[in-house]
Amino acid sequence: MREPNAIDFWRGFALITIFINHIPGNTFERYTFSQYGISDAAELFVFLAGWSIGIATRTRDGAPEARWRSVVRMLARTVEVYRAQITVMLLALAIIAGAALILDNPLILEWHNAGNFFADPIQSVCGMALLTYQLGFFNILPLYVVLIGVAPVIVLIGRASRVAALGLSFALYLTSLVLDWNLPSWPGEGTWFFDPFCWQLLLTLGFVLQDWSRTTPAFGRLTRRLMPLGIGIVLVGITLSVLDLRPDPLMVPEPRLLFTFEKSYLTPARLVHFLGVLLAFSPIYALIAPRIGWIVGFLSGLGRNSLAVFSMGSLLSLIGQLVRFQTGGGLLVDTAVAGIGLVALGITAWFVEWRSRKAPRPRP
Amino acid sequence: MRPALPWLRLGGALVAGMLAVSSAAAQEGTMPAPSMECRVPGSSLYSTAGLAAAKAALEERHVLKILAVGGSSAPGASASYPVKLEAALEQAMPHVDVIIDHRGLPGEIASGAAERLRSLVADAEPDLVVWQVGTHDAIARVDPAAFTEALDESVAWLKSHGIDVVLVDPLYTASVAEDADYNRIVDGVRDVAAREGVALVRRFEALRYLAGRTEKGEGHILGRQFRLNDLGLRCMAEHVALTISASLARTPAHDAPAPKPEPGSAAPAPRETPALTEPQRAPG
Repeated sequence: MREPNAIDFWRGFALITIFINHIPGNTFERYTFSQYGISDAAELFVFLAGWSIGIATRTRDGAPEARWRSVVRMLARTVEVYRAQITVMLLALAIIAGAALILDNPLILEWHNAGNFFADPIQSVCGMALLTYQLGFFNILPLYVVLIGVAPVIVLIGRASRVAALGLSFALYLTSLVLDWNLPSWPGEGTWFFDPFCWQLLLTLGFVLQDWSRTTPAFGRLTRRLMPLGIGIVLVGITLSVLDLRPDPLMVPEPRLLFTFEKSYLTPARLVHFLGVLLAFSPIYALIAPRIGWIVGFLSGLGRNSLAVFSMGSLLSLIGQLVRFQTGGGLLVDTAVAGIGLVALGITAWFVEWRSRKAPRPRP
Repeated sequence: MRPALPWLRLGGALVAGMLAVSSAAAQEGTMPAPSMECRVPGSSLYSTAGLAAAKAALEERHVLKILAVGGSSAPGASASYPVKLEAALEQAMPHVDVIIDHRGLPGEIASGAAERLRSLVADAEPDLVVWQVGTHDAIARVDPAAFTEALDESVAWLKSHGIDVVLVDPLYTASVAEDADYNRIVDGVRDVAAREGVALVRRFEALRYLAGRTEKGEGHILGRQFRLNDLGLRCMAEHVALTISASLARTPAHDAPAPKPEPGSAAPAPRETPALTEPQRAPG
């Protein structure tokens, strides 16, 4: 188990934000940073995944791990994330169906695009295995599977040349925005909620910037010098979201996706805003960590076990939504849902680490 | 083919819509016959409104591009709601190519989904948006006032870009019949439709009507509410098609010259159908 650190801390922070934001309408939603900017926790989560890949594919002294080992490591991780997505989807569908049965309320079946599954299980179950059938709010892991799946390519190119990795990644991003490339949804029409062709840029950025920060002392100086710019961008983001100002997708010039604020495509405005958030907030950890000891420990614990915590969080937020529906919500219910959820996420992280400490013993 | 012709037929379609409960009218062939199980009095089913953009598209291009938003394409792939809706509309307007894009819109209108709708619309560039709205927000217990405001804003945005709108309000089931918040969401959809002057399929009222009807035919292994829900989803396409046809029929012809009835063709003018022209409160 590694010590608390900035990456795990921010990842834990992103996980809690995602958990709260996935219970729409709840009281605490308005206190998450996602409400005060153009980008949100999803960007942070994917960027940190790229950063972590940079750390994971090198030894502690910074020497690159053998190529084949890195490739196999990432493919193994891809399988792990895929398995998590399948498990979480199945349980989410069961929770939705179970709630509909217990409450004698078939409306719940239509929730989060689940209606497709119950109406057309034959195609939907294939789509589930192919990741082309996604429930609303259960669409980050499919993106993650694709990104970790292609990460070996990014890592291998990045080892040869950081500029090449970033350049290729940016070219794919830009082409996808201009030509509107995305993976299809199936069954049903439409496309993925998170466009992997666009979001891969954030993973690559995380990976390349980690490498850059490791090797170049000037990196730290540059980011510190750019901090005021970051704060400026954050302030603009707050203003735009508080005043609810955003470009009208039918008024902007073509190619439309270069100008709108769409989450699905990580449009340039979101990307710039996220980079601003990074510049403004990344130095904060060093300032606050010594003062909020146990919170750092808690969030880092969540961040260290992000896959399990994310999976559990998405199921808990679904249950939280059902509880809010059945009870009618309100501050008391929201506080209970959020409080129990956070404790459950903490227990999840603790359990995963406890199990991995026990792992070497032969299983019964 | 003269462009006016579909309109003559559509006039007939309106009559069929009006007399949805009369099987004689349904047999005219101008309107997909409302199936027995889906029949609801017009007053419980919809309120109409002008569909200027759709009418112009029909007259000028003989193509009607519809973006169906929300809900699943249930039930079953081959006879799903968008497929059925397309078939029903093409049957009502034989000389028009109806193109339907269907997109699910998970999430709440009051948080995020309204934004997503805008990009769906920008992608599809439809003449008409048929929007099943409110169920998600109702289940998420979104504040009805916030929901209504966000919906109003979205509908106004669609209208400001010259896109017609048909709203479809949330589903009905017994356990939400007396739920105050749920009813406020349903009322919110109705208020927005009235305020913005867009057509509305009152699915909640329609299903409530169907729920009260004597139950015949097959039961449902999971009970009455699930049977009703299946029925509601099955009837969606018919109910939406009826609302669109009735709304189109009362939309004054665009720049095009008024259609001249051909001798022998009985095409009543939209004016003759006052019963459908105003939003009506359903009985009960």
